[in-house]
Amino acid sequence: MKKYISLIAAAAMLTSCQDIGGALFFAGDGTYEFTNANLETGYLVDESKIHRFETYSDSDTIQGVFVGDFAQIQNDTIIVYLHGNGPSMDNFWSSIGVLANVGAQHRYGVIMYDYRGYGKSTGTTVDAASMQADYDAVLQWLVDRGLTSDRMVVFANSLGSLPAGPAAAGNSPIAIEKLVMETPQSSADAILQDATGLSLPSSMITGYDFDLGANMADYPGALLWMHGTKDDVAPIVNARAAMSEHQGGYYVEAVYEGAGHGLRWDISSEEWIRVLHEFMLHE
Amino acid sequence: MNIKPLIAIALGYFVVSCAPSKIVAPLEQGTWQAGATLGRPQINEGSLPVLGIYAAKGVSNHRTIYGGMGLSSSLFGAMQFEGGVVKGLVAPKGWMPGYSISYGANVFMSARNGDFRLYPDAGANMYWKKGPHIAHLSANTWVDPTWFLTRYGQGQILAPSLGAGYRFRYKWLEVQAEYKLVNPSRELMVPQADVPGIAGLGGRGLYYGLALNF
Repeated sequence: MKKYISLIAAAAMLTSCQDIGGALFFAGDGTYEFTNANLETGYLVDESKIHRFETYSDSDTIQGVFVGDFAQIQNDTIIVYLHGNGPSMDNFWSSIGVLANVGAQHRYGVIMYDYRGYGKSTGTTVDAASMQADYDAVLQWLVDRGLTSDRMVVFANSLGSLPAGPAAAGNSPIAIEKLVMETPQSSADAILQDATGLSLPSSMITGYDFDLGANMADYPGALLWMHGTKDDVAPIVNARAAMSEHQGGYYVEAVYEGAGHGLRWDISSEEWIRVLHEFMLHE
Repeated sequence: MNIKPLIAIALGYFVVSCAPSKIVAPLEQGTWQAGATLGRPQINEGSLPVLGIYAAKGVSNHRTIYGGMGLSSSLFGAMQFEGGVVKGLVAPKGWMPGYSISYGANVFMSARNGDFRLYPDAGANMYWKKGPHIAHLSANTWVDPTWFLTRYGQGQILAPSLGAGYRFRYKWLEVQAEYKLVNPSRELMVPQADVPGIAGLGGRGLYYGLALNF
């Protein structure tokens, strides 16, 4: 018996608890060349309306970009874009260009930021707490400029669904009433279980136990879910299961046969913007 | 987009049956075998190092018991143990193969919060033995008694694997190599990575072992 106890104790000592949470994040450098040269034809912006800003999350500096007039924050609808798992905002600048043309050019203001460690934001994104803190910091920046709940639309792309989920479930400085989940992940458990085919919980490899299904169950606002059937990064089966737990009053799903994780490129910006704007206009 | 090796490694550690079949031909009574295994399940264009150690003892000429531990999973906060029995049914004779069966269990426990999973397993081996050379075909399945705990109902009760391998067992030394198809009954997915399988199902990899007999 003693031998077995020693063996288990030795195993426990060998268990180092390295967390792969940080390895989920593909943070990298950013150049922040936010100009029309990097936007799609037909979705250009007035370059005088591109504003870089920075705010602070714990001890880190968060870099962001706002496209529009600052006065819009106090008076008009703002789209808060939570970007996906690319090195920096640079990778998502073309999406901002398209969003800045929803309805008409600069009909709505659009804001995007880099999570800590992405682009020129300092620090390292490691878990739910850091993502929540960064989100809160940017939302506070908007609160300070007069944004209110009824004029905010949160658009979460892929990785962006991780901070969007808890925020929608009630942890947002401005309550979310309209949420777009584009190619969202589902849960940390589901990722490990898809990789192994076993019922292993995510606690075996990470402390980042996100669960968008549970978040959606606690989200009372409107939800638009956009996904492609050939998404091999965020499997549609799991995303559908997570989004279907939404209990809010208004729910729209836009599922595209044959489309992959780069949904906008597969379905065209025109279709992407059409579905989004219809959702935004719904009362 | 390139995947960080770490995430692939961490997820790959847990790909079912991430070690070679421990014992194929039962050890002689009283013989101990202690070894290390290196699994190389394929992810993207490369493969992953999955390390484990084990010990086995021939309790009779037809029955061998073994126990092992996954080292790679320990690195990320999970203790992984396995143990079982290999029972010889028919001894090989000339070109006629021998047969053995195995049964045991695999245990995972999270060092973070004590989450626990137990997966019984059972398998069968057909093997040829000529002097120090052992060639074998193996089929094994893990049983997931907690399949219903999977999020979004994606669980399955059986997680089978198929393998073909060669062992060189000479006096105090045994060298092992095995090619395995793991979990070919479902698609295995790692975000932003490709898990090569057969017709889009399961995973595959080469597994090695080095053991001492005494």
